[in-house]
Amino acid sequence: MDSRVPVVDVKSLHVRFGQVEAVAGVDLAAYAGNSTALLGRNGAGKSTTMRVLAGVVPPTAGSAIVAGYDVRTHPLEVKRAVGYCPDVGGLVPRATPWEHLQLSARLRRLDNWEDRARDLLERFELGDVAHRVTTGFSHGMGRRLSVCLAALHEPQVLLLDEPFAGVDPIGVEATLDVVNDARSRGACVLVSTHLRELAVEACSSVLVLRGGAQVATATAGDMAGEEGARAYRSLLD
Amino acid sequence: MPTAASWTDLHPREVGRSVRDVAHLIAFRTSAVRRPRAFAVIAAVFVGCTAAASGVPAFLEGAGSYDGYSLDALTLLPSAMAGFMLLAIASAVASGGGRELLNREHGVAFAVSPTTDHLGALLLAPLNIAWLLQAWVLLGATSYGVQRGFLPFALIGIVLWIALATAIGQVLAWTVEAIRRRHHGIAIVRGMAVVLFAVAVLLQLSGKLGTLLDAFPTTTLAAGLVNGFGGRWGVSVAVEILLILFVVALGAIPAHFAARRAPRDELRVESGNYPARRLPRSPLAALVRTDRGSVWRAVPMRRGLAVLAIGPGIVALAGGLDWSQMTILPGLVASGGALLFGVNAWCLDARGGLWRESLPVGAATVFAARAWVLAEFLLAASFVTLVLAGLRAGLPSPSELTALLCTWVVVVLQVVSSSMRWSSRRPFAVDLRSARATPAPPLVMVGYSTKLAVTTTLTSLIFSGLARTPYPEVSILVASPFLVWSLVRLLHARDSWTDPVQRATVVTTVAG
Repeated sequence: MDSRVPVVDVKSLHVRFGQVEAVAGVDLAAYAGNSTALLGRNGAGKSTTMRVLAGVVPPTAGSAIVAGYDVRTHPLEVKRAVGYCPDVGGLVPRATPWEHLQLSARLRRLDNWEDRARDLLERFELGDVAHRVTTGFSHGMGRRLSVCLAALHEPQVLLLDEPFAGVDPIGVEATLDVVNDARSRGACVLVSTHLRELAVEACSSVLVLRGGAQVATATAGDMAGEEGARAYRSLLD
Repeated sequence: MPTAASWTDLHPREVGRSVRDVAHLIAFRTSAVRRPRAFAVIAAVFVGCTAAASGVPAFLEGAGSYDGYSLDALTLLPSAMAGFMLLAIASAVASGGGRELLNREHGVAFAVSPTTDHLGALLLAPLNIAWLLQAWVLLGATSYGVQRGFLPFALIGIVLWIALATAIGQVLAWTVEAIRRRHHGIAIVRGMAVVLFAVAVLLQLSGKLGTLLDAFPTTTLAAGLVNGFGGRWGVSVAVEILLILFVVALGAIPAHFAARRAPRDELRVESGNYPARRLPRSPLAALVRTDRGSVWRAVPMRRGLAVLAIGPGIVALAGGLDWSQMTILPGLVASGGALLFGVNAWCLDARGGLWRESLPVGAATVFAARAWVLAEFLLAASFVTLVLAGLRAGLPSPSELTALLCTWVVVVLQVVSSSMRWSSRRPFAVDLRSARATPAPPLVMVGYSTKLAVTTTLTSLIFSGLARTPYPEVSILVASPFLVWSLVRLLHARDSWTDPVQRATVVTTVAG
């Protein structure tokens, strides 16, 4: 058992939308300097769990503590501690990337953020389109910008929901760099994805969800290679 | 890339297929109605109102007497018919070809032809409160003006005219859209609009507008329709039916041309550069700036606002409205403006709503920014209308000015509070990228527009009466309870938004 205090501590999390139970009893502990992957098929409850941790969706039952704050009672403090890349789009259609960054910087009271913002845009090859509205962006460009926005303020908790979906190899590489940077400065990283190989590459531990509930926790090593693929496949059925 | 319409697309077999596709799409849309009972009630109200407009005036005193108001109704019928056609044209042109049975984003996976799109837009044209009101006025005027024995025949002719005018509006809308999508098309269309406006002003100033309206073919057509069953009626109705068939078929051609060209104004917005501005001073200012961008960079909002602000202003200018009558204008424009995005205000963020919701800012501040941006949008539109309308009205008396200002503030606040309430209660995931996009499904839009029109019109009528009194302070006194009531409802809407569960439902819904 780990003696450290988890930065993200989820216990028996339930989220219900009307008759649909999107998350049905997830437990999760994630630590500073570690990266954890949430793996599972579509509809497994990964994105809803991430939305709860980002303070976007309140839990129906159970508890979720992020950076020491309960998401239910201290959502603003949670939002200050978190950088979130949502699974769908995540961009205001008629705002430019720079305007997104400005909004985030202003609401997070960031100083001297411009150089880091420019650096992130360049690393994700978005420098040329920094002043174009995001409506015309391709799916991959949108994903890359969402990761930039999540990483801008060097958050204590980095939540990346499907950051690799539809992203080209350069974007994947830049995203992996962001994950590694965050981990090395002591941030807690959660990556939700259905791409096992990238999850293993980006993270040190893995949580597999199925039907809104967790079915396994493992180290990234356990999920790597042919053996890991077989194990993952068996957990999905 | 081919840019011409292919005649194989207009082959009778393809047209037949398009008609069947329209039926499939209507069945699909109907099956997706969230509240079937409300749908049935709305349909019954629509049929009831149409029947009432067609029948009730015929039983009023003096109806069909060819004297007094009855004679006035008959005399004005040709102008009303022409007016209906102008409305149908303006409405279809402003919405870039009319409403979509299946929106563009959803339609990419299906083989929906431009002919299907054209027929669908025609069918959805009546789901517009301005269209409905004008149609009911036309039917009511006919019912009151024509002798009861001749009425069924006259009504048949007027219903056919309504269909014909709508189809003509649709053809012109597709044609304008096809031109707009050409090289320099936007400039050409704007140039045409300026020329038309200048011609209308010249005609009005030279006093020839009435003569022109009298020379409209609607005079001959109306004369053929209102005198009962006979040879002339038969010819008039036959001509209408033939024209409807011809114009509906004709509309498919510009619809194909438009469909094969990229929408330039949308592309211009999407590919344009927006230079960085200074960092806003406060979180509220930052949110307001982002929301303003979402509104003013959207093609349907800009186009809709231009039509809404300038259209009623020009009509008021031409009609020489006095200041007390002008109280009707702010409500009309504010209601129309809210229907561009306000009734589903959170849809501006679309999928960005999830990210915005993860930012550390109070929900009440987010609400305040959105309500403020909506209010300033409505105030800007109605200001332009009032300035245009006031150009020929001389100086207002203190009572008239106070009543007008009070109406303006009251109706804008009414519309903002209703819109923000509906936005939280019934969010929809919509993409306001296209000029044809609406913030809610067509039937819901009819419901919203009816509620807004009734509320603001009744309020405006009260202040119109107060403008005629010599006591300006009365308007302020009367405005106070209206303002307090709307503010209380706005605060209720804010409370609903600040509830985390309700907010999460809205945000996840608009994110799609």
